[in-house]
Amino acid sequence: MAVCVAVIAKENYPLYIRSVPTQNELKFHYTVHTSLDVVEEKVSAVGKALPDQRELYLGLLYPTEDYKVYGYVTNSKVKFVIVVDSSNTSLRDNEIRSMFRKLHSSFTDVMCNPFYNPGDTIQSKSFDSIVSAMMVQSS
Amino acid sequence: MAQCAQSVQEFVQDSFVPTVAVLCSADAERVTRRNNLSFPELLRPFCRLTSEGHLRDPNNLVVVVKGLRISVTGVNTQPLQPGEVRKLLSQAVSGCQPPEGLPANVVTAGDYDLNISATTPWFEAYRENFLQSMPASDHEFLNHYLACMLVVSSREAAPTEQFQRLSQEQHRVQHSGEYTHPKWFIPNTLKYYVLLHDISDGDEQRADSVYEDMKQRYGTQCCYLLKINSRAAAAGPAEQMPDPWSQYLQKSRAQSPVSPEACEDAAVNNVENNVSSEVDGHDVSDALSESHPLELDQTSNLGYPGNPSVAVNSIDTSRKQGGLPASSTPVAHGACLTLNDHDRIRQFIQEFTFRGLLPHIEKNIRQLNDQLVSRKGLSRSLFSATKKWFGGGKVPEKSIAELKNTAGLLYPPEAPELQIRKMADLCFLVQHYELAYSCYHTAKKDFLSDQAMLYAAGALEMAAMSAFLQSGAPRPYPAHYMETAIQTYRDVCKNMVLAERCALFSAEVLKSQVKYSEAAALLIKMTSEDSDLRSALLLEQAAHCFINMRSPMVRKFAFHMILSGHRFSKAGQKRHALRCYCQAMQVYKGKGWTLAEDHINFTIGRQSFTLRQPENAIAAFRHILINDSKQVATQQSAFLREYLYVYKSVSQSSSDVTLPQLPLPCLHSAQTRVFFGHERRLAEGEKQAATHVWLDQEYDGEQAQLWAELEEQVVGVANKGSVPIGFQPTQYCLSCHTDNLRYPLAVVEEPIIVEVVFRNPLKVPLALAELSLLWKFTPKDFSRPPGGVPGEALSNEKEAAAGRVSAAPRRGPSARLQLLPHKTGELQVLSVLYSLGTVEEDNGTTSRPTFVRGRQDLEIQGPRLNTTKEEKTSVRHGPDHRLDPVITPPMPLLEVFFINFPTGLLCGEIRKAWVEFVNVSAVPLTGLRVASTHPEFFTFGCAASDLTPVTPTASEHCSAYKTMATPPSVAATMLVSPAMFGVSGDDRPTVAEIPLVGGGLGPGEALQIPLWLRGPDREGVHEINFLFYYESVEKNAKLSHRVLRHKAFICASRSLSVRATACHSNTLPRRGGAEEEGGSSMLVFVDVENINTSEAGVREFHIVQVSSSSRQWRLHTCINPTGDRDSRLASRERGKLCFRATRCRTQEGETHARKYTFADLNLGNEQIVSSTTPCADFFFRRGSPSEAQKGGVSVGGANHTRRQSLTPAGGADDGVTGVVQKCSEVELNIIVLWKAYVVEDNKQLILEGQLHVALQTVGKEACSVPQKEEAQEMVLLKFKPDQPPPVSRPTLEQLSRLIKTCLHYPESYDHPFPQKSLCMVPVTLTLSNCSLAQVDVIIDLRHKTTSPESLEVHGTFTWLGQTQYKLQLRPHEVQRLVLKACFFQAGVYNLGTPRVFAKMAQAGTMCETSQQSSMPALIVINSV
Repeated sequence: MAVCVAVIAKENYPLYIRSVPTQNELKFHYTVHTSLDVVEEKVSAVGKALPDQRELYLGLLYPTEDYKVYGYVTNSKVKFVIVVDSSNTSLRDNEIRSMFRKLHSSFTDVMCNPFYNPGDTIQSKSFDSIVSAMMVQSS
Repeated sequence: MAQCAQSVQEFVQDSFVPTVAVLCSADAERVTRRNNLSFPELLRPFCRLTSEGHLRDPNNLVVVVKGLRISVTGVNTQPLQPGEVRKLLSQAVSGCQPPEGLPANVVTAGDYDLNISATTPWFEAYRENFLQSMPASDHEFLNHYLACMLVVSSREAAPTEQFQRLSQEQHRVQHSGEYTHPKWFIPNTLKYYVLLHDISDGDEQRADSVYEDMKQRYGTQCCYLLKINSRAAAAGPAEQMPDPWSQYLQKSRAQSPVSPEACEDAAVNNVENNVSSEVDGHDVSDALSESHPLELDQTSNLGYPGNPSVAVNSIDTSRKQGGLPASSTPVAHGACLTLNDHDRIRQFIQEFTFRGLLPHIEKNIRQLNDQLVSRKGLSRSLFSATKKWFGGGKVPEKSIAELKNTAGLLYPPEAPELQIRKMADLCFLVQHYELAYSCYHTAKKDFLSDQAMLYAAGALEMAAMSAFLQSGAPRPYPAHYMETAIQTYRDVCKNMVLAERCALFSAEVLKSQVKYSEAAALLIKMTSEDSDLRSALLLEQAAHCFINMRSPMVRKFAFHMILSGHRFSKAGQKRHALRCYCQAMQVYKGKGWTLAEDHINFTIGRQSFTLRQPENAIAAFRHILINDSKQVATQQSAFLREYLYVYKSVSQSSSDVTLPQLPLPCLHSAQTRVFFGHERRLAEGEKQAATHVWLDQEYDGEQAQLWAELEEQVVGVANKGSVPIGFQPTQYCLSCHTDNLRYPLAVVEEPIIVEVVFRNPLKVPLALAELSLLWKFTPKDFSRPPGGVPGEALSNEKEAAAGRVSAAPRRGPSARLQLLPHKTGELQVLSVLYSLGTVEEDNGTTSRPTFVRGRQDLEIQGPRLNTTKEEKTSVRHGPDHRLDPVITPPMPLLEVFFINFPTGLLCGEIRKAWVEFVNVSAVPLTGLRVASTHPEFFTFGCAASDLTPVTPTASEHCSAYKTMATPPSVAATMLVSPAMFGVSGDDRPTVAEIPLVGGGLGPGEALQIPLWLRGPDREGVHEINFLFYYESVEKNAKLSHRVLRHKAFICASRSLSVRATACHSNTLPRRGGAEEEGGSSMLVFVDVENINTSEAGVREFHIVQVSSSSRQWRLHTCINPTGDRDSRLASRERGKLCFRATRCRTQEGETHARKYTFADLNLGNEQIVSSTTPCADFFFRRGSPSEAQKGGVSVGGANHTRRQSLTPAGGADDGVTGVVQKCSEVELNIIVLWKAYVVEDNKQLILEGQLHVALQTVGKEACSVPQKEEAQEMVLLKFKPDQPPPVSRPTLEQLSRLIKTCLHYPESYDHPFPQKSLCMVPVTLTLSNCSLAQVDVIIDLRHKTTSPESLEVHGTFTWLGQTQYKLQLRPHEVQRLVLKACFFQAGVYNLGTPRVFAKMAQAGTMCETSQQSSMPALIVINSV
């Protein structure tokens, strides 16, 4: 499904970033980094409307020629970004949403690990496998 | 978004201006040429009108024309070919660089502070040039010529004819149909006749008359007499004249390809080509190949076809390549013009516009309007009707065109559909935007209904523009018009140029309306593959839009900057590309997006390099390499190669002496180790060198401490008991663990080895070669008194050599570099020099890896200080001097070799080895000593023993002991003082002086001396440290002594276990025995068990001899019951030996209180003289009793003694206790000498050994093998001090041993009871005092045996005579009491009834105790 999954810290540096065509890693880095602007824009827009019940899922951030970029922001301002191939039209919004939810719960597990130092890059194997599962489905 | 100099309205207005053609006669051209200008150029600075113009629209409303500009060009100005346009634009952009040091605009967005150039002049330049170079199109008339100026010089012979000719020429160009190019707005173009008069040259009257003639001929509105050149051309250049042309012409000059800047660019591009081809073929310069900037386009200079008189007109601002000297020196323009002339020209333009042009336009608008109004009603209905009837097929040729391509639809020039558009354009040009809008709107509808998409798009575009420009703004800006127009231009018409123009305007308008995101989207949409330059510029503008949004989108800005930079670099605009990347870098820098950061850095590095900013390039590349990059290996190796290439080219070009710093591999300065001395030879045949210290050894803090203690001990001994105040242990290997506060000392002519540790952070291997050290040396002579002038710092010859070190990825190799000082002084090692290269794995032969030379400084930070408060609160580091050694005068250097040094020994085994001392220096050494952690392990023999060393080989099979052939008999004794063996007092000697012949070793001398080793008592692997100490004969101020370390490992395996017990012998000493004294004899039982586990192939052990060594006792005879004299013990066998020991002679004991009596009892025929070297040495070096008991010998008693000695309380009692204890103390050491028969490699070897047992207390067992300590119970932590042990009183048992009693009587006694009923038997009671004090003894005979059995068994008897005796016994006194026993009948009696009470003479009654009852003394009374 996804071609790139990224977790970005509150301070906007990458905690985790993985993409399927590894030779295009740089491109995805740029894509994800650029999407942060949209995330910020959306968060600030939503934040004004309803400060309490904020929807974590931000929806489609922006489409590019080849990809669609979706965003999700946790309450602690950690951002998840999923890049999906535009050609994959079968993907519904709900599926993206559930992917994010899965990602979030796995991320929470990582955070609960007493040996994880908050702010470090994520090297958890279970997290990795969750992400892989999301990516594998695409191929 | 970059700010523009103009407002948007101005910009749009200036982009669409009335254009006027110029047709110049050759003479007139000559006149203007005197100013280095053509006629259009001459006019150009004055083309903007400063005053307002007026005209009336068809509805007779006055339209005010403000700030109108007209464009004047030569009639033959050719439209540029697309390639030329591209070149022109590229030059325009590259010629316009951001000014250096301009205060940049700081944008703060979130946590980003960005420096962004506020303006983008290159974009404006591009835009201006782009709009100027727009080819005139058929679908719009905005840039078609509205008028034509015919210029004739007044000097012309026949100006009127000339005007006529020019007019015809114009007509021909417009109407003959030969020329497609100059497009004319309206068929009857306004012709304006200009008579050019050169004041300095021509005849003014004539000019005036000609002008009058002209006025009559053409009308006043269409004629003008322009007088210029008031000054002679030769006027001094000193005169300061404003040069209004320069700003217009400078651009064209800059566009000239031979300008220096372009030259530079070209050169740069060449470099770039080299780089890209050489490095990895990464192609970034495709745009360059098709239009080389140096290529001169000569063909375009040929002028207009077939008309020489017009040819000059083709020389125009933009086409100057051949026309003007291509020199870089600025050409003075308008040299012949005064300010008055300027005013005249200005006046001329104004006159032309207001009197000629505007009325002409007004007239045309009216005409067109009339035409349209008259046609409207008819045509509308007609068109719609025909469409209805014929199904849309209005004109057959159009339908065909429609079928082919709607975009290709062309109306004929005079088509009625175009009239309205023409009118709209005219209105637009004279700033009548309301009318223009309505016309455009109508035209759009018409074109759309005709499916004439190109025309429709043009109308849409202009409709939007005029809507925007309407001053009152009655309707909002129709952005969708623009979008549709752009889309149509691009997709339907495939006309990118028009689409681009449209987008530029639209974006500008949107920006002015703060619709940045729309503008950005529009600009991004316009980027395409066909033009890199355009894409780059538009992307950059889009990026600026993002950053100017209300909430700035920094990352989008950065991303688009990168895209733009990429396109710039593809377009060959290196400087702009670099600038873009640098601006984007600000966003990515240090935010953790390493992959992107690396990419940007890499590009910056590359661009900087091609732009000849190698320092920046190196910095950028360095940045990629030093951080732990997460790139893949191939990428890293590409980075590395690129870096090396750049670095190499930089280092080749710069003549700087100091080598630059290299970033790779990481140098761990702190892990640098320094070693002083030669590389060690470890083994040399049979010889085994002392291990000493070497870099391969890991640092071990405990070991270092141990060595330091040993050294301190030996130094203490060498300095007669006192350690010098400034003593510091010698350090041979300095690392981060050692104390590096002092300057280390190195000896001249001895190498200094520096080990540097590298770490390769990359995934690709690095090759290091030609490593060497950079250092500084200050010579000093330490032999002279200080204060001498220190020599100049110099770099004397060095011997740094190391092979090529290949740093495998991610692993830290280390290199060892050697320096050999030849002079004394102070050395400072500064840095490491090396060549860095890549490792070519696949084809090392084809391409030689590039190596660059650089250095890295060794800067070692000392440990953090943490003593004072100030140091604790701040972070301070102490100095670290490990790399600053002081070179001292020569010192002796000792090498020690061990010969026949075993690795495994049986416990207690004695082995003779040899040790060789070699002085390898040129200085004699003296004072050789050795300190060891295991002094009991080895001995060099005592000085007395004969040192007639045979060679080590000769003595191989001899016994280590000195033997004498003696049959087993009574023990031979020998008195030996421990001092002879270098043992003084009870402490074990840890330091031994090594007997050297002559007290020292000369230079180059070697000495071999024997060394005896004894296997440690405990099994297992033992680590034995030797520290050899030696001094120079001459005193060295800096270095008093040197040491050499050796560490040996001995594996000890079990041999025999000897247990010995001593007990008092009850037998009376034989009366009158010469060697007996006072009944002091003991029985010593020795149990010997073979506990060898036969791994070593030990067949059996033979007990060869048992010796004793004691100050008071000695073994006397062997009283083994069996006759087995040569006791052999196979595996796990146990043997028992019994000895009698006697006290040594008193007088000897007194006089030689410190001397030991050695008594040898050999079991075979060979006596080993135990009092000589190996045996006695090891005896004296054995573990002291207090240490031995730690091993578990006689736990109870010994502990007790110790505790008593610890408590000084209880004076009298203590004395008593001591005395009492003395009685039961023996201080007898048993030495068991054995031989072991070992089969090894089918050879039988005989090993010898000795075991020591120290007997201390009577009745307590002592053992040679230290028993395994029971698992140490956990000691409870005590928070209160221990209760002082109660004042100990001698135990009853101990007291009962004060006196030894013995009854002497006949074993059987015959008595004739019938004869005599009473039988009296004399019995002698011998009392001997065992203690060293006076003892009062009471003997009570009244006592009856209390045990019931004895009553039953034996009859009773009575003692006769005195029943109670009181005696006093002196120390060791023996007294005999004669008693009488009386028996009544025959039988067996126990005589052991007397009870003996003893007490110390000084002590009170409390100590009176009954003495140990003697054995049952049975007597048999027989009746005869």
